[in-house]
Amino acid sequence: MLAAALARALRDEEVGFTGLVTGGAAAVFGTAIPLAAMELARLSHAPGLTILLAGWSHNPDLFGLPELPDSEFDAKLRDLAADAQMMDYPGPWSIRRGDIDFGFSSAVQVDRSGNINSVCVGDYRRPRVRLVGPILQPEHMALFGREYVMMPHHERRNFVERVDYVSGVGYPGGRAGRRRLGLERGGPAWVITPRCIFDFDEDDGRMRVRSMHPGQTPAVLQAATGFDLGDLAGVPTTESPTPEELELLRRQVDPHGILLRSADRSTR
Amino acid sequence: MPTGQGGKAKLLTLPEAAARIADGARLAIGGFAVYQHPMALVRELVRQGRRDLTVVGHVNGNDVDLLAGAGCLRRVESSYVGLEKYGLAPCFRRRVERGQLEMVDYPEVLSFDRFRASADNLSFWPCDYLGGTDILTHNPAIKPFDCPLTGRRLWAVPPAAPDVVVLHAVAADERGNVVIPARHLLPQSLDVTMGRACDTVIVTTEQVVSRDYIRRHARQVLLPSYRVSHVVEVPWGAHPCPVLGRYVIDDAHFRQYAAAAATEDGFAGYLERYVTGPRDHDEYLERVGRAHLERLREVDAP
Repeated sequence: MLAAALARALRDEEVGFTGLVTGGAAAVFGTAIPLAAMELARLSHAPGLTILLAGWSHNPDLFGLPELPDSEFDAKLRDLAADAQMMDYPGPWSIRRGDIDFGFSSAVQVDRSGNINSVCVGDYRRPRVRLVGPILQPEHMALFGREYVMMPHHERRNFVERVDYVSGVGYPGGRAGRRRLGLERGGPAWVITPRCIFDFDEDDGRMRVRSMHPGQTPAVLQAATGFDLGDLAGVPTTESPTPEELELLRRQVDPHGILLRSADRSTR
Repeated sequence: MPTGQGGKAKLLTLPEAAARIADGARLAIGGFAVYQHPMALVRELVRQGRRDLTVVGHVNGNDVDLLAGAGCLRRVESSYVGLEKYGLAPCFRRRVERGQLEMVDYPEVLSFDRFRASADNLSFWPCDYLGGTDILTHNPAIKPFDCPLTGRRLWAVPPAAPDVVVLHAVAADERGNVVIPARHLLPQSLDVTMGRACDTVIVTTEQVVSRDYIRRHARQVLLPSYRVSHVVEVPWGAHPCPVLGRYVIDDAHFRQYAAAAATEDGFAGYLERYVTGPRDHDEYLERVGRAHLERLREVDAP
Protein backbone atom coordinates (compact mmCIF):
# COMPACT_ATOMS: atom_id res chain seq x y z
CA MET A 1 0.00 0.00 0.00
CA LEU A 2 2.72 2.47 0.99
CA ALA A 3 4.95 1.37 -1.87
CA ALA A 4 2.13 2.00 -4.33
CA ALA A 5 1.27 5.39 -2.82
CA LEU A 6 4.91 6.43 -3.03
CA ALA A 7 5.42 5.05 -6.52
CA ARG A 8 2.66 7.32 -7.87
CA ALA A 9 4.58 10.35 -6.56
CA LEU A 10 7.82 9.46 -8.37
CA ARG A 11 8.47 10.81 -11.86
CA ASP A 12 10.31 9.53 -14.88
CA GLU A 13 14.04 10.38 -15.18
CA GLU A 14 14.33 11.19 -11.47
CA VAL A 15 17.18 9.96 -9.30
CA GLY A 16 16.21 8.47 -5.94
CA PHE A 17 18.57 7.73 -3.06
CA THR A 18 18.00 5.11 -0.39
CA GLY A 19 20.22 3.57 2.25
CA LEU A 20 20.43 -0.10 3.05
CA VAL A 21 18.89 -0.24 6.51
CA THR A 22 18.75 -3.56 8.30
CA GLY A 23 16.65 -5.01 11.07
CA GLY A 24 12.88 -5.24 11.52
CA ALA A 25 10.59 -2.28 10.99
CA ALA A 26 13.53 0.06 10.32
CA ALA A 27 14.56 -2.06 7.32
CA VAL A 28 11.01 -2.19 6.00
CA PHE A 29 10.54 1.57 6.15
CA GLY A 30 14.13 2.55 5.41
CA THR A 31 14.81 0.19 2.51
CA ALA A 32 12.13 -2.30 1.50
CA ILE A 33 9.25 0.16 0.88
CA PRO A 34 11.49 2.72 -0.90
CA LEU A 35 12.97 0.03 -3.15
CA ALA A 36 9.56 -1.46 -3.94
CA ALA A 37 8.16 2.00 -4.69
CA MET A 38 11.01 2.97 -7.00
CA GLU A 39 10.95 -0.34 -8.87
CA LEU A 40 7.16 -0.20 -9.22
CA ALA A 41 7.49 3.31 -10.64
CA ARG A 42 10.17 2.08 -13.08
CA LEU A 43 7.88 -0.71 -14.27
CA SER A 44 4.83 1.49 -14.67
CA HIS A 45 5.27 5.17 -15.50
CA ALA A 46 8.94 6.01 -14.79
CA PRO A 47 11.20 3.66 -16.78
CA GLY A 48 14.05 6.18 -16.67
CA LEU A 49 14.11 6.53 -12.90
CA THR A 50 17.49 5.79 -11.32
CA ILE A 51 17.62 3.90 -8.03
CA LEU A 52 20.73 4.73 -6.00
CA LEU A 53 20.93 1.89 -3.52
CA ALA A 54 23.10 2.65 -0.51
CA GLY A 55 23.83 5.84 -2.40
CA TRP A 56 26.24 4.13 -4.76
CA SER A 57 24.84 1.20 -6.78
CA HIS A 58 22.78 2.52 -9.71
CA ASN A 59 19.79 0.28 -10.53
CA PRO A 60 21.28 -2.91 -9.06
CA ASP A 61 19.76 -6.16 -10.20
CA LEU A 62 18.54 -7.22 -6.78
CA PHE A 63 14.95 -8.11 -7.32
CA GLY A 64 15.76 -11.69 -8.28
CA LEU A 65 17.81 -12.32 -5.14
CA PRO A 66 16.59 -14.79 -2.52
CA GLU A 67 17.14 -12.15 0.17
CA LEU A 68 18.10 -8.48 0.43
CA PRO A 69 21.82 -7.80 0.92
CA ASP A 70 22.34 -6.70 4.51
CA SER A 71 25.58 -4.81 4.13
CA GLU A 72 26.24 -1.61 2.16
CA PHE A 73 29.88 -2.10 1.24
CA ASP A 74 30.53 -5.77 0.65
CA ALA A 75 31.31 -7.88 -2.41
CA LYS A 76 27.75 -9.20 -2.65
CA LEU A 77 26.26 -5.82 -3.49
CA ARG A 78 29.37 -4.81 -5.47
CA ASP A 79 29.09 -7.86 -7.71
CA LEU A 80 25.41 -7.38 -8.61
CA ALA A 81 24.83 -6.21 -12.16
CA ALA A 82 24.11 -2.48 -12.17
CA ASP A 83 24.07 0.54 -14.50
CA ALA A 84 26.87 2.36 -12.65
CA GLN A 85 28.69 2.24 -9.34
CA MET A 86 30.07 5.02 -7.23
CA MET A 87 33.44 3.72 -6.07
CA ASP A 88 34.99 6.99 -4.99
CA TYR A 89 34.04 10.19 -3.27
CA PRO A 90 33.58 12.54 -5.09
CA GLY A 91 31.82 10.18 -7.45
CA PRO A 92 29.37 10.15 -10.36
CA TRP A 93 26.74 12.36 -8.74
CA SER A 94 27.08 15.86 -7.39
CA ILE A 95 25.04 16.16 -4.25
CA ARG A 96 25.43 19.94 -4.21
CA ARG A 97 24.35 20.54 -7.80
CA GLY A 98 21.04 18.84 -7.06
CA ASP A 99 21.65 15.59 -8.95
CA ILE A 100 19.50 13.70 -6.45
CA ASP A 101 15.79 14.39 -6.90
CA PHE A 102 14.50 12.60 -3.85
CA GLY A 103 15.72 10.56 -0.93
CA PHE A 104 14.46 8.47 1.93
CA SER A 105 15.59 8.88 5.50
CA SER A 106 14.53 7.57 8.88
CA ALA A 107 14.72 9.22 12.26
CA VAL A 108 13.97 8.62 15.89
CA GLN A 109 12.08 11.90 16.30
CA VAL A 110 10.22 14.17 13.91
CA ASP A 111 8.42 17.36 14.90
CA ARG A 112 5.46 19.33 13.59
CA SER A 113 7.70 21.37 11.28
CA GLY A 114 9.21 18.21 9.83
CA ASN A 115 12.62 18.59 11.49
CA ILE A 116 14.20 15.18 12.07
CA ASN A 117 16.61 13.86 14.69
CA SER A 118 18.96 10.88 14.75
CA VAL A 119 21.50 12.33 17.19
CA CYS A 120 20.18 12.21 20.75
CA VAL A 121 17.14 12.07 22.99
CA GLY A 122 17.29 14.61 25.81
CA ASP A 123 19.96 17.21 26.47
CA TYR A 124 22.77 17.22 23.89
CA ARG A 125 25.61 17.23 26.42
CA ARG A 126 24.06 14.67 28.78
CA PRO A 127 21.58 12.82 26.56
CA ARG A 128 19.16 10.25 27.87
CA VAL A 129 19.91 8.26 24.71
CA ARG A 130 22.86 8.96 22.46
CA LEU A 131 22.03 7.82 18.93
CA VAL A 132 24.28 7.36 15.90
CA GLY A 133 24.71 10.96 14.72
CA PRO A 134 23.44 13.17 11.90
CA ILE A 135 24.90 10.94 9.15
CA LEU A 136 23.64 12.20 5.78
CA GLN A 137 20.43 13.78 7.14
CA PRO A 138 21.57 17.40 6.78
CA GLU A 139 22.30 16.72 3.11
CA HIS A 140 19.07 14.74 2.53
CA MET A 141 16.95 17.55 3.92
CA ALA A 142 18.80 20.46 2.31
CA LEU A 143 20.37 19.31 -0.96
CA PHE A 144 18.01 16.67 -2.35
CA GLY A 145 15.03 17.87 -4.38
CA ARG A 146 12.62 16.45 -1.80
CA GLU A 147 12.63 13.96 1.01
CA TYR A 148 10.36 11.13 2.09
CA VAL A 149 10.84 10.69 5.83
CA MET A 150 10.21 7.04 6.64
CA MET A 151 9.23 6.57 10.29
CA PRO A 152 9.16 2.91 11.34
CA HIS A 153 7.39 3.82 14.59
CA HIS A 154 4.58 6.27 15.22
CA GLU A 155 4.14 6.95 18.93
CA ARG A 156 4.18 10.12 21.03
CA ARG A 157 7.89 9.73 21.73
CA ASN A 158 8.62 9.79 17.97
CA PHE A 159 6.21 12.58 16.96
CA VAL A 160 7.13 15.47 19.22
CA GLU A 161 6.41 19.19 19.44
CA ARG A 162 10.12 19.96 18.92
CA VAL A 163 12.93 17.49 18.21
CA ASP A 164 15.78 17.36 20.75
CA TYR A 165 18.34 17.90 17.98
CA VAL A 166 17.75 19.12 14.43
CA SER A 167 19.88 16.90 12.22
CA GLY A 168 17.69 17.50 9.16
CA VAL A 169 15.70 20.69 8.63
CA GLY A 170 11.97 20.65 7.82
CA TYR A 171 9.86 23.78 7.30
CA PRO A 172 10.43 26.07 10.29
CA GLY A 173 8.47 29.11 9.06
CA GLY A 174 7.46 27.34 5.86
CA ARG A 175 9.20 27.76 2.50
CA ALA A 176 10.00 31.38 3.37
CA GLY A 177 11.57 30.21 6.63
CA ARG A 178 13.76 27.75 4.76
CA ARG A 179 14.87 30.50 2.39
CA ARG A 180 15.84 32.67 5.37
CA LEU A 181 18.04 29.79 6.54
CA GLY A 182 19.73 29.71 3.14
CA LEU A 183 17.93 26.57 2.01
CA GLU A 184 16.90 27.26 -1.58
CA ARG A 185 15.36 23.89 -2.38
CA GLY A 186 14.39 20.56 -0.93
CA GLY A 187 12.80 19.65 2.34
CA PRO A 188 10.43 16.89 3.39
CA ALA A 189 7.58 16.11 0.99
CA TRP A 190 5.91 13.39 3.03
CA VAL A 191 6.38 11.67 6.37
CA ILE A 192 5.31 8.04 6.10
CA THR A 193 4.46 6.03 9.21
CA PRO A 194 2.74 2.75 10.08
CA ARG A 195 -0.40 4.81 10.81
CA CYS A 196 -0.63 7.53 8.17
CA ILE A 197 1.01 9.68 5.52
CA PHE A 198 1.74 13.31 6.35
CA ASP A 199 2.48 16.12 3.96
CA PHE A 200 3.15 19.81 4.63
CA ASP A 201 1.48 23.14 4.30
CA GLU A 202 4.54 24.77 2.80
CA ASP A 203 3.30 28.28 3.64
CA ASP A 204 2.97 27.89 7.38
CA GLY A 205 5.34 24.91 7.57
CA ARG A 206 3.02 22.60 9.48
CA MET A 207 2.76 18.90 9.00
CA ARG A 208 -0.76 17.73 8.14
CA VAL A 209 -2.33 14.32 7.76
CA ARG A 210 -2.70 13.53 4.08
CA SER A 211 -4.24 10.09 4.57
CA MET A 212 -4.85 7.58 7.34
CA HIS A 213 -4.14 3.90 6.86
CA PRO A 214 -7.08 1.48 7.13
CA GLY A 215 -7.92 0.72 10.74
CA GLN A 216 -6.71 4.06 12.13
CA THR A 217 -9.16 6.57 13.57
CA PRO A 218 -8.65 10.30 14.26
CA ALA A 219 -8.66 9.61 18.01
CA VAL A 220 -6.08 6.83 17.79
CA LEU A 221 -3.86 8.87 15.51
CA GLN A 222 -4.01 11.96 17.73
CA ALA A 223 -3.28 9.86 20.83
CA ALA A 224 -0.14 8.48 19.19
CA THR A 225 1.11 11.94 18.15
CA GLY A 226 2.78 14.44 20.48
CA PHE A 227 1.43 17.55 18.74
CA ASP A 228 -1.99 18.78 17.72
CA LEU A 229 -3.11 17.34 14.39
CA GLY A 230 -6.05 19.69 14.02
CA ASP A 231 -9.39 18.59 12.65
CA LEU A 232 -9.04 15.17 11.05
CA ALA A 233 -12.63 14.95 9.78
CA GLY A 234 -12.59 14.36 6.08
CA VAL A 235 -9.04 12.99 5.95
CA PRO A 236 -9.14 10.20 3.37
CA THR A 237 -8.01 6.62 3.88
CA THR A 238 -4.66 5.78 2.30
CA GLU A 239 -5.44 4.38 -1.12
CA SER A 240 -4.94 0.68 -1.65
CA PRO A 241 -2.85 -0.47 -4.59
CA THR A 242 -4.79 -1.07 -7.79
CA PRO A 243 -5.01 -4.67 -9.05
CA GLU A 244 -2.44 -3.74 -11.73
CA GLU A 245 -0.04 -2.35 -9.13
CA LEU A 246 -0.48 -5.42 -6.93
CA GLU A 247 0.20 -7.66 -9.87
CA LEU A 248 3.41 -5.79 -10.72
CA LEU A 249 4.54 -5.77 -7.10
CA ARG A 250 3.99 -9.49 -6.64
CA ARG A 251 5.16 -10.80 -9.98
CA GLN A 252 7.91 -8.44 -11.09
CA VAL A 253 9.07 -6.07 -8.37
CA ASP A 254 9.35 -8.67 -5.68
CA PRO A 255 8.93 -12.18 -7.07
CA HIS A 256 10.57 -13.77 -4.03
CA GLY A 257 8.75 -11.61 -1.51
CA ILE A 258 11.98 -10.31 -0.01
CA LEU A 259 10.68 -6.75 0.20
CA LEU A 260 7.01 -6.86 0.92
CA ARG A 261 6.55 -9.94 3.05
CA SER A 262 7.92 -8.08 6.02
CA ALA A 263 6.28 -4.82 4.97
CA ASP A 264 2.79 -6.33 5.11
CA ARG A 265 3.43 -7.45 8.67
CA SER A 266 4.74 -4.18 9.97
CA THR A 267 2.07 -1.90 8.51
CA ARG A 268 -0.65 -4.05 10.14
CA MET B 1 64.66 -4.01 -11.04
CA PRO B 2 65.55 -1.08 -13.31
CA THR B 3 66.83 1.46 -10.79
CA GLY B 4 68.35 0.78 -7.38
CA GLN B 5 66.30 -0.55 -4.48
CA GLY B 6 64.17 2.58 -4.20
CA GLY B 7 64.60 4.03 -0.75
CA LYS B 8 64.43 2.90 2.82
CA ALA B 9 62.26 0.31 4.46
CA LYS B 10 59.57 1.60 6.80
CA LEU B 11 58.56 -1.61 8.48
CA LEU B 12 57.58 -1.47 12.13
CA THR B 13 56.08 -3.98 14.52
CA LEU B 14 52.53 -3.33 15.71
CA PRO B 15 53.68 -2.18 19.20
CA GLU B 16 56.26 0.13 17.62
CA ALA B 17 53.65 1.63 15.30
CA ALA B 18 51.13 2.16 18.11
CA ALA B 19 53.86 3.85 20.17
CA ARG B 20 54.09 6.53 17.45
CA ILE B 21 50.60 7.68 18.44
CA ALA B 22 50.96 9.87 21.53
CA ASP B 23 48.48 10.40 24.33
CA GLY B 24 46.22 13.30 23.35
CA ALA B 25 46.83 12.90 19.60
CA ARG B 26 44.25 13.69 16.91
CA LEU B 27 43.89 10.29 15.32
CA ALA B 28 42.10 9.45 12.07
CA ILE B 29 41.21 5.78 11.67
CA GLY B 30 40.65 4.36 8.20
CA GLY B 31 37.67 2.21 7.34
CA PHE B 32 33.97 3.04 7.46
CA ALA B 33 31.24 2.02 9.95
CA VAL B 34 31.97 -1.71 10.44
CA TYR B 35 34.26 -2.06 7.39
CA GLN B 36 38.04 -2.42 7.18
CA HIS B 37 39.19 -0.51 10.26
CA PRO B 38 42.82 -1.19 11.32
CA MET B 39 41.49 -3.05 14.35
CA ALA B 40 44.75 -4.79 15.30
CA LEU B 41 46.35 -1.40 15.73
CA VAL B 42 43.31 -0.12 17.62
CA ARG B 43 43.60 -3.09 20.02
CA GLU B 44 47.30 -2.38 20.46
CA LEU B 45 46.50 1.22 21.46
CA VAL B 46 44.23 -0.19 24.17
CA ARG B 47 46.98 -2.61 25.30
CA GLN B 48 49.39 0.28 25.59
CA GLY B 49 46.87 2.25 27.67
CA ARG B 50 46.68 5.26 25.36
CA ARG B 51 44.65 8.15 26.82
CA ASP B 52 42.88 11.38 25.79
CA LEU B 53 42.82 10.65 22.08
CA THR B 54 40.59 12.63 19.75
CA VAL B 55 39.29 10.48 16.92
CA VAL B 56 38.56 12.61 13.87
CA GLY B 57 36.56 10.55 11.42
CA HIS B 58 33.64 10.44 9.03
CA VAL B 59 31.66 7.24 9.64
CA ASN B 60 32.88 5.28 12.66
CA GLY B 61 31.92 2.03 14.29
CA ASN B 62 33.55 -0.62 16.43
CA ASP B 63 36.89 1.23 16.16
CA VAL B 64 35.57 4.15 18.19
CA ASP B 65 33.39 1.94 20.38
CA LEU B 66 36.33 -0.18 21.55
CA LEU B 67 38.50 2.87 22.25
CA ALA B 68 35.61 4.58 24.05
CA GLY B 69 34.90 1.53 26.21
CA ALA B 70 38.58 1.15 27.11
CA GLY B 71 38.78 4.78 28.23
CA CYS B 72 41.22 5.90 25.53
CA LEU B 73 39.15 8.79 24.18
CA ARG B 74 38.50 12.37 25.13
CA ARG B 75 36.65 13.48 22.01
CA VAL B 76 35.16 12.18 18.78
CA GLU B 77 34.40 14.21 15.64
CA SER B 78 32.27 12.24 13.18
CA SER B 79 28.93 11.95 11.39
CA TYR B 80 28.12 8.48 12.71
CA VAL B 81 29.22 6.14 15.46
CA GLY B 82 27.28 2.89 15.35
CA LEU B 83 27.46 -0.79 14.54
CA GLU B 84 25.05 -0.79 11.56
CA LYS B 85 23.00 -3.99 11.71
CA TYR B 86 24.47 -4.80 15.13
CA GLY B 87 22.85 -1.72 16.66
CA LEU B 88 24.01 1.41 18.48
CA ALA B 89 27.65 1.57 19.62
CA PRO B 90 27.14 0.57 23.26
CA CYS B 91 30.35 1.84 24.91
CA PHE B 92 30.33 5.09 22.96
CA ARG B 93 26.71 5.59 23.94
CA ARG B 94 27.39 5.00 27.65
CA ARG B 95 30.33 7.39 27.71
CA VAL B 96 28.48 10.19 25.92
CA GLU B 97 25.37 9.77 28.07
CA ARG B 98 27.52 10.12 31.20
CA GLY B 99 29.28 13.19 29.89
CA GLN B 100 32.63 11.34 29.81
CA LEU B 101 33.20 11.72 26.10
CA GLU B 102 32.85 14.88 24.07
CA MET B 103 31.05 14.32 20.77
CA VAL B 104 31.26 16.79 17.90
CA ASP B 105 28.71 15.98 15.21
CA TYR B 106 29.33 16.74 11.54
CA PRO B 107 27.20 15.96 8.46
CA GLU B 108 28.53 12.97 6.55
CA VAL B 109 29.60 14.66 3.32
CA LEU B 110 31.27 17.50 5.20
CA SER B 111 33.14 15.01 7.34
CA PHE B 112 34.58 13.57 4.10
CA ASP B 113 35.33 17.09 2.88
CA ARG B 114 37.21 17.94 6.07
CA PHE B 115 39.83 15.41 4.92
CA ARG B 116 39.83 16.93 1.43
CA ALA B 117 40.49 20.30 3.07
CA SER B 118 43.49 18.83 4.89
CA ALA B 119 44.67 17.08 1.72
CA ASP B 120 44.51 20.39 -0.15
CA ASN B 121 46.06 22.28 2.77
CA LEU B 122 43.04 24.57 3.01
CA SER B 123 42.18 26.35 6.25
CA PHE B 124 38.49 25.56 5.84
CA TRP B 125 35.95 23.86 3.56
CA PRO B 126 33.03 26.07 2.46
CA CYS B 127 29.48 24.92 2.94
CA ASP B 128 26.07 26.44 2.17
CA TYR B 129 23.56 24.06 3.71
CA LEU B 130 23.86 24.13 7.50
CA GLY B 131 21.20 26.76 8.25
CA GLY B 132 18.61 25.57 10.75
CA THR B 133 20.58 22.53 11.95
CA ASP B 134 21.82 21.99 15.49
CA ILE B 135 25.22 21.19 13.96
CA LEU B 136 25.73 24.96 14.21
CA THR B 137 24.26 25.22 17.73
CA HIS B 138 26.85 22.90 19.22
CA ASN B 139 29.93 23.42 17.07
CA PRO B 140 31.62 26.80 17.57
CA ALA B 141 34.49 25.71 15.31
CA ILE B 142 32.19 26.20 12.30
CA LYS B 143 32.12 29.93 11.48
CA PRO B 144 29.66 31.83 9.29
CA PHE B 145 30.90 34.17 6.58
CA ASP B 146 29.50 35.90 3.53
CA CYS B 147 30.74 34.76 0.14
CA PRO B 148 33.07 37.55 -1.08
CA LEU B 149 31.78 37.12 -4.65
CA THR B 150 28.02 36.69 -4.23
CA GLY B 151 27.32 37.79 -0.67
CA ARG B 152 25.65 34.47 0.04
CA ARG B 153 25.77 33.18 3.62
CA LEU B 154 28.28 30.35 3.88
CA TRP B 155 29.98 28.46 6.68
CA ALA B 156 33.67 27.69 7.08
CA VAL B 157 34.09 24.11 8.26
CA PRO B 158 37.45 23.32 9.89
CA PRO B 159 39.74 20.77 8.22
CA ALA B 160 40.13 17.32 9.76
CA ALA B 161 43.77 18.11 10.59
CA PRO B 162 44.76 14.72 12.04
CA ASP B 163 48.16 14.30 13.72
CA VAL B 164 48.25 10.65 12.64
CA VAL B 165 46.29 8.59 10.13
CA VAL B 166 46.13 4.79 10.43
CA LEU B 167 44.74 2.65 7.60
CA HIS B 168 44.42 -1.03 6.83
CA ALA B 169 45.26 -2.14 3.28
CA VAL B 170 45.38 -5.42 1.39
CA ALA B 171 48.98 -4.98 0.23
CA ALA B 172 51.94 -2.61 0.51
CA ASP B 173 55.65 -2.92 0.00
CA GLU B 174 58.18 -2.21 2.73
CA ARG B 175 58.70 1.33 1.44
CA GLY B 176 55.04 2.20 1.78
CA ASN B 177 53.62 1.88 -1.72
CA VAL B 178 50.04 0.92 -0.94
CA VAL B 179 47.83 -1.11 -3.29
CA ILE B 180 44.13 -0.22 -3.40
CA PRO B 181 42.21 -2.85 -5.43
CA ALA B 182 40.60 -1.72 -8.67
CA ARG B 183 37.21 -3.01 -7.54
CA HIS B 184 37.18 -0.96 -4.37
CA LEU B 185 34.22 0.84 -2.85
CA LEU B 186 33.66 4.06 -0.91
CA PRO B 187 35.43 2.93 2.30
CA GLN B 188 38.68 2.25 0.43
CA SER B 189 38.37 5.49 -1.54
CA LEU B 190 37.98 7.46 1.69
CA ASP B 191 41.05 5.69 3.08
CA VAL B 192 43.00 7.17 0.18
CA THR B 193 41.61 10.64 0.91
CA MET B 194 42.65 10.22 4.54
CA GLY B 195 46.09 9.05 3.51
CA ARG B 196 46.57 12.28 1.57
CA ALA B 197 45.43 14.42 4.50
CA CYS B 198 48.29 13.97 6.95
CA ASP B 199 52.10 13.81 7.11
CA THR B 200 52.15 10.83 9.46
CA VAL B 201 50.39 7.89 7.84
CA ILE B 202 50.66 4.40 9.32
CA VAL B 203 49.49 1.59 7.07
CA THR B 204 48.81 -1.87 8.44
CA THR B 205 48.61 -4.37 5.63
CA GLU B 206 47.41 -7.92 5.15
CA GLN B 207 50.64 -8.63 3.32
CA VAL B 208 53.96 -6.94 2.58
CA VAL B 209 54.61 -7.50 -1.12
CA SER B 210 57.78 -7.21 -3.17
CA ARG B 211 58.89 -4.14 -5.06
CA ASP B 212 58.44 -6.20 -8.20
CA TYR B 213 54.78 -6.79 -7.33
CA ILE B 214 54.29 -3.06 -6.81
CA ARG B 215 55.86 -2.25 -10.17
CA ARG B 216 53.53 -4.69 -11.89
CA HIS B 217 50.49 -3.16 -10.15
CA ALA B 218 51.56 0.47 -10.28
CA ARG B 219 48.18 1.75 -11.43
CA GLN B 220 46.65 0.48 -8.19
CA VAL B 221 49.22 2.25 -6.01
CA LEU B 222 46.95 5.11 -4.95
CA LEU B 223 49.13 5.94 -1.95
CA PRO B 224 52.76 6.09 -3.12
CA SER B 225 55.65 5.63 -0.70
CA TYR B 226 56.26 9.34 -0.03
CA ARG B 227 52.73 9.59 1.46
CA VAL B 228 53.33 6.75 3.92
CA SER B 229 55.43 6.91 7.09
CA HIS B 230 55.27 3.37 8.46
CA VAL B 231 54.20 -0.06 7.27
CA VAL B 232 53.15 -2.92 9.54
CA GLU B 233 52.41 -6.41 8.27
CA VAL B 234 49.28 -7.61 10.08
CA PRO B 235 47.39 -10.54 8.55
CA TRP B 236 43.72 -10.41 9.60
CA GLY B 237 44.53 -6.89 10.75
CA ALA B 238 40.96 -5.61 10.36
CA HIS B 239 39.22 -8.52 12.08
CA PRO B 240 36.35 -8.60 13.07
CA CYS B 241 35.75 -6.07 10.28
CA PRO B 242 35.86 -7.32 6.69
CA VAL B 243 38.55 -6.50 4.15
CA LEU B 244 36.94 -6.21 0.73
CA GLY B 245 38.11 -9.07 -1.47
CA ARG B 246 40.03 -10.85 1.32
CA TYR B 247 37.63 -11.80 4.10
CA VAL B 248 34.03 -11.10 5.07
CA ILE B 249 32.75 -9.59 8.27
CA ASP B 250 32.93 -11.90 11.30
CA ASP B 251 29.22 -11.86 11.99
CA ALA B 252 29.45 -14.14 15.03
CA HIS B 253 32.20 -12.04 16.58
CA PHE B 254 30.26 -8.80 16.00
CA ARG B 255 27.18 -10.31 17.64
CA GLN B 256 29.32 -11.44 20.55
CA TYR B 257 30.84 -7.96 20.83
CA ALA B 258 27.49 -6.15 20.69
CA ALA B 259 26.00 -8.45 23.32
CA ALA B 260 29.03 -8.19 25.62
CA ALA B 261 29.41 -4.43 25.29
CA ALA B 262 25.77 -3.88 26.26
CA THR B 263 26.93 -3.85 29.90
CA GLU B 264 30.13 -2.57 31.48
CA ASP B 265 30.89 -5.96 33.00
CA GLY B 266 30.28 -7.67 29.71
CA PHE B 267 32.60 -5.25 27.94
CA ALA B 268 35.29 -5.77 30.61
CA GLY B 269 35.06 -9.50 29.94
CA TYR B 270 35.40 -8.95 26.18
CA LEU B 271 38.38 -6.66 26.70
CA GLU B 272 40.15 -9.19 28.90
CA ARG B 273 39.48 -12.06 26.52
CA TYR B 274 40.32 -10.38 23.23
CA VAL B 275 42.36 -7.22 23.84
CA THR B 276 44.29 -6.89 27.09
CA GLY B 277 44.50 -10.63 27.78
CA PRO B 278 46.28 -11.64 24.55
CA ARG B 279 49.94 -10.57 24.57
CA ASP B 280 49.88 -9.61 20.91
CA HIS B 281 47.94 -9.89 17.65
CA ASP B 282 49.00 -13.52 17.11
CA GLU B 283 47.57 -14.51 20.45
CA TYR B 284 44.38 -12.60 19.58
CA LEU B 285 44.09 -14.65 16.39
CA GLU B 286 44.59 -17.86 18.40
CA ARG B 287 41.74 -16.87 20.70
CA VAL B 288 39.47 -16.09 17.77
CA GLY B 289 40.48 -19.45 16.29
CA ARG B 290 42.41 -20.15 13.09
CA ALA B 291 39.77 -22.52 11.72
CA HIS B 292 37.07 -19.92 12.38
CA LEU B 293 39.13 -17.27 10.55
CA GLU B 294 39.66 -19.52 7.54
CA ARG B 295 35.92 -19.73 7.04
CA LEU B 296 35.77 -15.94 6.57
CA ARG B 297 38.05 -15.88 3.53
CA GLU B 298 36.76 -14.59 0.23
CA VAL B 299 38.63 -14.57 -3.03
CA ASP B 300 38.65 -11.62 -5.40
CA ALA B 301 40.30 -11.25 -8.74
CA PRO B 302 42.90 -8.47 -8.28
